[in-house]
Amino acid sequence: MKKNRVAFASVLFCCATVVFSAAHAQVDVVKGAGKHAFAVGGFSGDAAIAGQVTDVLKNDLRLSGYFQLSPSAGAEFVQSGSVRGEGGGGVEIECIVTEVATKRSVLASTYKGFAQELRRTVHKLSDDIVQTITKQRGIAQTKIAFVWARNGAKELAVMDYDGYNVQQLTYDKSISVRPRWSPDGRKLVYTSYKSSFPDVAEVNLYTGQRRRIASFPGLNSGAAFSPDGQTLALTLSKDGNPELYTMSIGSGNLQRLTYTRGAESSPTWSPDGQSIAYVSDNLGTPQVYSIGRDGGVPTRLTVSPAYNTEPDWSHPPAGSEMKPMLTVTSRAGKFQIGIYDADARTVIPVVADGVDNEGSSWASDGRHLVFTKAVNWRPQLYLLDVMTREQIQLPAVEGGASEPAWGP
Amino acid sequence: MKVLRLTRATFVALTTAAVLMACQGCKSKPKPKSDAELGNVLGMQGGDINMGSARPLGELDMANQQRGMFSPVFFALDSAKISASEAAKLPAVAQYMKANPNKTLVIEGYCDERGTAEYNRALGERRAQTAREALVKLDVPASRITTVSFGKDKPIDSGHDEAAWAKNRCCEFVIAGP
Repeated sequence: MKKNRVAFASVLFCCATVVFSAAHAQVDVVKGAGKHAFAVGGFSGDAAIAGQVTDVLKNDLRLSGYFQLSPSAGAEFVQSGSVRGEGGGGVEIECIVTEVATKRSVLASTYKGFAQELRRTVHKLSDDIVQTITKQRGIAQTKIAFVWARNGAKELAVMDYDGYNVQQLTYDKSISVRPRWSPDGRKLVYTSYKSSFPDVAEVNLYTGQRRRIASFPGLNSGAAFSPDGQTLALTLSKDGNPELYTMSIGSGNLQRLTYTRGAESSPTWSPDGQSIAYVSDNLGTPQVYSIGRDGGVPTRLTVSPAYNTEPDWSHPPAGSEMKPMLTVTSRAGKFQIGIYDADARTVIPVVADGVDNEGSSWASDGRHLVFTKAVNWRPQLYLLDVMTREQIQLPAVEGGASEPAWGP
Repeated sequence: MKVLRLTRATFVALTTAAVLMACQGCKSKPKPKSDAELGNVLGMQGGDINMGSARPLGELDMANQQRGMFSPVFFALDSAKISASEAAKLPAVAQYMKANPNKTLVIEGYCDERGTAEYNRALGERRAQTAREALVKLDVPASRITTVSFGKDKPIDSGHDEAAWAKNRCCEFVIAGP
């Protein structure tokens, strides 16, 4: 393995360790290494339902990154089960997962749901399998917010993490962009041009209610919730040029963090909530800096290449094998996604394939990213498993999808 | 302000909450609510944003705006600096504003698509602010100028070549008011 490159030392099965700040840690993982060989035996019972459940389960296990789907010969785990349609449009799924070596059944559960929510029910099952076998939290029940280019407008939408079940959120026929989730997954903040000017707005996903949070003269954009959900970091230009501020959700009180002649934008909170990484072009081209949540002297993080933007901190759950990481979008000819290596002060590209990739957002597992890939200027969403570097294209969204934000 | 009718909104909100809760523990008896209903709430079908604080300038009469009266100011890639030749376009704007004291000037900042989305929103704003500062130096009151950045979200030219990009790195001057 190459030295002097950040990130992922894969050890044994899924016990890969990511070292963010240790020098000479390694990014490289042999594709497919560390995955459990898992045989999906399928489900007896109603063939149509069984087929659908099997497809969703296989896709979930594949997307989790922890499993290599395999025939039962040579598998480490085998799955069996049954499905049953119930009166009133209900479906019952029974699933058993057996560890081949010990012949022990590691999971035996029954799941009930309505037929139209079959995917969601299977996502729950998939997350249980991931949790049981890897002790890591799965992402199959998470959602991704994104910007949907429709009919000449930009609307907000939300989809399941696998790209299915797209639901349009706004019908403003305006520009609605840069969604970011509240830590509890109940709200999104975003930038709305409904008033003809860029305002920070919030939508409550449970009630559908929206409110305008910031509408000062000039730019109001880039809002991001702190990990405790109490404070927003955002860009305002009310004092002359785009600067970084925090706003208390409860009181609306503003605190200005930066004082430069350049533009500050794109804040992302560190996992401990004590600092904020952001973009500034004060010294020329845009680079990523970090500042304390109460301001102070900023620390410059990235130095090369000449253009680093769209920082996003991962927030891996307690007990995760993943360490916090900071991704950026760099321009090196084309736009590419990279992970910032704090020791070497370099950016290690993880999505650099000769087309434009931008705007990565971490999943709550701290292992997967969603990002925009534009081929011929047509943006669509892709997932990346940073451990294996596998990219997966989500089902294409008509008109184009961009600026994804992976929910908690 | 239009809002969702209360009865319907409340009903759907409650059922939506139930759906979202159900996804946490699917072993419990399922609630007969589907994503389609969730979509109805999430979509709001054109419901308004509850406007909190208003802009100090007030909501401009955007229907009464005049665009194209003045030549746009163009910029180099990733730059918010106004070159001497581009700055020569500004006195005409300043003169009009001084002669029409009841008008408001909206400066729109744009970027080409070769940049990341949010950074371009900031860059577009800085372009607009640079033009604003220059006009203030030409004695246009700052209180009569407002800025709006469209970043790369609303290109003036939808092409994907150097000619289109050059057109899209600009500030446009829009006159609003009675």
